[in-house]
Amino acid sequence: MLREIRQVLRLVLLLGKQRQRRCERAGGLLVLLWTEARASGQSLNCTVAAAGPWCTGIKMKALQPDLKENMFPCTWPCPEPDPEELCAFTDLYGSLRLLLSFQMKDAQLFNPEWTDHMESFLHTFSLANAGIKIHLKFIFNQKTLQQEFRVKIKSKVAQAGDPSLSLDVTCNTQPPECVKKGCWCQGGHPVPGGRLPLSIPPQAMDQGLYGELSVQPVTLLRPCVLQYPNLATQLTHIQVLVYSPSNVPVTGPSAFLQNLPAQLGCPELSQRGLHCSSFKDLVLSGGTVYKVEQEMLEEESSPSTIQQSLLLFLFLQHSDPFTSHISDVMATEALIEQHLEDILSNNRQAVTTALQTELKNTLKAQNRRKKDQEKLRSAVDVILSSSISIVSCSSNMDFRQACLNSMKVHDTHELSASLCESLRRVTSWKFTPRGRCYSAQMEEHPESDEPTRTEI
Amino acid sequence: MASQAAEQFSEVDKLRVQLLNNVEDMTDCQPDDEPVSSREILIRIENIILGIVTSVSKGEAPVLALPNRSSWANVSFDSAIGLQMSSGPSVSIIRSDCPSSVTKFAQILKILSVIYRLVQRNSYATKRDIYYNNTQLFGSQTAVDSIVDDISCMLKVPRRSLHVLATSKGLIAGDLRYMEEDGTRIDCHSSSAAVAVSSNIAGIRNIVSSAKFVMIVEKDATFQRLLDDDFCTKLCPCIIITGKGVPDVNSRLMVRKLWDTLHIPIFALVDADPHGIEIMCIYKYGSVAMSFEAHSLTVPSVMWLGLLPSDLQRLWVPEDALIPLTKRDESKLSSLLKRPYLSSQPDWQKEMELMQQTRVKAEIQSLAAIAPDFLTSIYLPNKLRYGGWV
Repeated sequence: MLREIRQVLRLVLLLGKQRQRRCERAGGLLVLLWTEARASGQSLNCTVAAAGPWCTGIKMKALQPDLKENMFPCTWPCPEPDPEELCAFTDLYGSLRLLLSFQMKDAQLFNPEWTDHMESFLHTFSLANAGIKIHLKFIFNQKTLQQEFRVKIKSKVAQAGDPSLSLDVTCNTQPPECVKKGCWCQGGHPVPGGRLPLSIPPQAMDQGLYGELSVQPVTLLRPCVLQYPNLATQLTHIQVLVYSPSNVPVTGPSAFLQNLPAQLGCPELSQRGLHCSSFKDLVLSGGTVYKVEQEMLEEESSPSTIQQSLLLFLFLQHSDPFTSHISDVMATEALIEQHLEDILSNNRQAVTTALQTELKNTLKAQNRRKKDQEKLRSAVDVILSSSISIVSCSSNMDFRQACLNSMKVHDTHELSASLCESLRRVTSWKFTPRGRCYSAQMEEHPESDEPTRTEI
Repeated sequence: MASQAAEQFSEVDKLRVQLLNNVEDMTDCQPDDEPVSSREILIRIENIILGIVTSVSKGEAPVLALPNRSSWANVSFDSAIGLQMSSGPSVSIIRSDCPSSVTKFAQILKILSVIYRLVQRNSYATKRDIYYNNTQLFGSQTAVDSIVDDISCMLKVPRRSLHVLATSKGLIAGDLRYMEEDGTRIDCHSSSAAVAVSSNIAGIRNIVSSAKFVMIVEKDATFQRLLDDDFCTKLCPCIIITGKGVPDVNSRLMVRKLWDTLHIPIFALVDADPHGIEIMCIYKYGSVAMSFEAHSLTVPSVMWLGLLPSDLQRLWVPEDALIPLTKRDESKLSSLLKRPYLSSQPDWQKEMELMQQTRVKAEIQSLAAIAPDFLTSIYLPNKLRYGGWV
């Protein structure tokens, strides 16, 4: 079922890409799943509906033959969904441009783990197609489970020769208590890396994969602390997500990516290493997740160290002037996904170097912050000891009292402790507002970014 | 002999009379330079600390405002004083929450705490002592030297009042006796050896001298040559002093003290090159970096005795003793000609313009090409006898 849904998404996105190079990838997507009791058992019905600019110009009748024969060979026609379910959707996004329904005979696949996979997939899809609002609805044994994947903060990333990417850069990390209202960036700032050409391995060429293949890395570090230049940061996780040329997530574990940490050998990591998370976590979180080991000293990081995670998008790009028919393009994508391991292995050195570069850039900034923190810390010690020394040896009662009153303490011992804590806080949490950051404006619209999930 | 001596110094004596007349005219204009009391210095330091504590209590990162001592925009020229810091100079803000400036902030606080204790206990330390107290924090002696001057400027207090001493590099010789603050008697009469300029000029008292003039010598090499040639005996009574290049504050203070006490002509003997002229200007008009202390450091009455660019032609100094000006020399010369104080010195301007035209420079040692003892036997005696200064 997931495969079918992926195919639908791929179709809509590729059609959009073909029609208008700069088509706006915005609109709504409805995935409606419900079970139906039959004499032979339960069947699982699925309706996928799309509306909005991202599917403008789609002509369903023209697509029918391709859809049924080439894309959904293992599906059967299924009953139409309840029109009321569709009404709510069209009220939001306008008339339907795409409506596909299909049925899986064996509904035993429909279990809680499978629904988690579906949610994870749609969430990963939403990360790189942030303009599309996704509504997922399960109706199972008279229970209804709904989810909306709505993106709070989007950011456009330009791509040479392709429409701009619309990424979900929302960050859910709650700011520390000491941060004032409107002074915390609630998004991230994607950084595109250099496009890396990939050579197509012989076995893929034998299968018919030709043309020019490349990968565009984009990194997203969250939470953003650019407005706090003196804060130390600590990278704890790296998540790698791969997307096909149509921008549909490539699912399934990748041996290449799982073994990547051993290849990276990044000097900036020094004593640290990267662990690949367990398979279960991979599936649920989407993509490949690495945990960054911390140095011994870093384990006792100060309270003002912010933990960050890095999201590394790998957008595959393909062009072949001899492939233009939509079914051929979709077949090519299928080939790319099928041979992805071979492609990555064939370009091992280049891919590893490219990923190393992205990682180095992230860690460079982190190391610079660490050095600045150390500089501030040692200087603050001197400032503190010098100031307290003068207060302690002064015989000017007015001066001493003014200092104590200012810090609301009773003696120089308390003054030392209070001044130390305050000075460290004031210097560590230096705030320099940045126009690029998503701070004040978000305070006015405190929508939750979490997928809205309701159970009825 | 007596008449010869009188003739030797007739022009110098005339100059002295002229200078004395000018000094009387200027007496009413001189500001009162009352020393700042120790109590007041402590209060000024305490105010800085209180400002820091208050900022922190408000959740703000403390900052220090240092008058900018390197900007020409912050100085104005007064012919009676020299280069002095303007009122309300532009300041540099040193932040405690910026990694690029926090170390300097800490260095300033550290030195303030050292000064506080020195003043409180009425003890003294040298800049070198302060540096070696915490070499890791300061990094270099230059950093300490600069910060001490910054603090002096920020508190509007002379460095000597901060109880921080600098080891003097200057030397002095000639008809001069005085007593140091600790009671040590100094006699600069020795013909073969010079006396180091005192580290505590303010403490000098009981100055006794019958010198007709003071001669500032740019370089130590020239100074030693004068000593070797027994110049102070030949042109007795006189005082010679050198700062060994760009003068330190103590050497400048000493020249100023001699002027204030003796009111005798002060001559400068420098190389005929832009660097030498600039050094002479520092003695006469002061420097941008120390403009906040101009009143106690400058001697606007300094006269340029030699080596003048016009001397090179007049004396037919051999060509191989002349050195072509470098691009750097030309740039410095142009910069000197634009200085505000040159407009009141048309004769100096002419000499410098001559150097620009001829595009050559010469060291005082070039006079040895005429004759080995030309400097002390002919050049200087004639210059002094016939008023060859500008």
